[in-house]
Amino acid sequence: MLTNAAKVEDIAMGGLKSVEINSHEITLCNYEGKIYAVERRCGHMNAPLDMGTLNGKILICPMHFAQFDITTGERLSGPVPAAPIKGLPQNAVSHFAFLGKLMAHIKTHDLKTYKVVVEGSDIKVDV
Amino acid sequence: MSIEARKQALKYLFSQVAEPLGYRLTTNDWLLNFCLEQEAKNEEKLGIPYCPCQMLTRDREHDMKLVCPCIPFHRKHYDAMKRCWCGLFVHKDVVDESKLRQIPAKEV
Repeated sequence: MLTNAAKVEDIAMGGLKSVEINSHEITLCNYEGKIYAVERRCGHMNAPLDMGTLNGKILICPMHFAQFDITTGERLSGPVPAAPIKGLPQNAVSHFAFLGKLMAHIKTHDLKTYKVVVEGSDIKVDV
Repeated sequence: MSIEARKQALKYLFSQVAEPLGYRLTTNDWLLNFCLEQEAKNEEKLGIPYCPCQMLTRDREHDMKLVCPCIPFHRKHYDAMKRCWCGLFVHKDVVDESKLRQIPAKEV
């Protein structure tokens, strides 16, 4: 069902905007004037992708920099390994090492995409 | 993830970095595809698209200087060769890429 999500003027070229429609969290992306809709949460660790960066049609997660193609939702790369932080107390180092080992077992999934229709200045998303 | 999609993404992202540095991607399609494919595989395995033509040491400080495009970390060397070590990036003023050769860093 097509539902009003936002106005075209709400999203600048190369911009991102999050909307919630019927409990679906969606990120709207303006790629060269065309609007694309993908799920808002990153396929890696659920970070909000609307707070990330859109470089061409590549959406980059703000948390671990996993990359996705907004036109297909395809995962283009997984999380980037974090740089070691120096000067942390040993218990914090152990904690991050534990988290790292734990998270090494999770996969990064493709994003769900939604059909977008622009009618006049209204952006409608098929949810 | 498909390697082909990642190759196209890397090509797009790398161009943005190399262009302001005075370099462009090679016009040799075989080399371009080969290097990008190896980098996509490196990224899939290690999380970072390291240069496929240089040896990693597991010393982070050393290895981070081999993340493609590694031009800024080897500027003097690459400027002398008018290309990067792999040949993926070529200096913009080069007309005939086939004449470019690798020159060991020690000889520069």
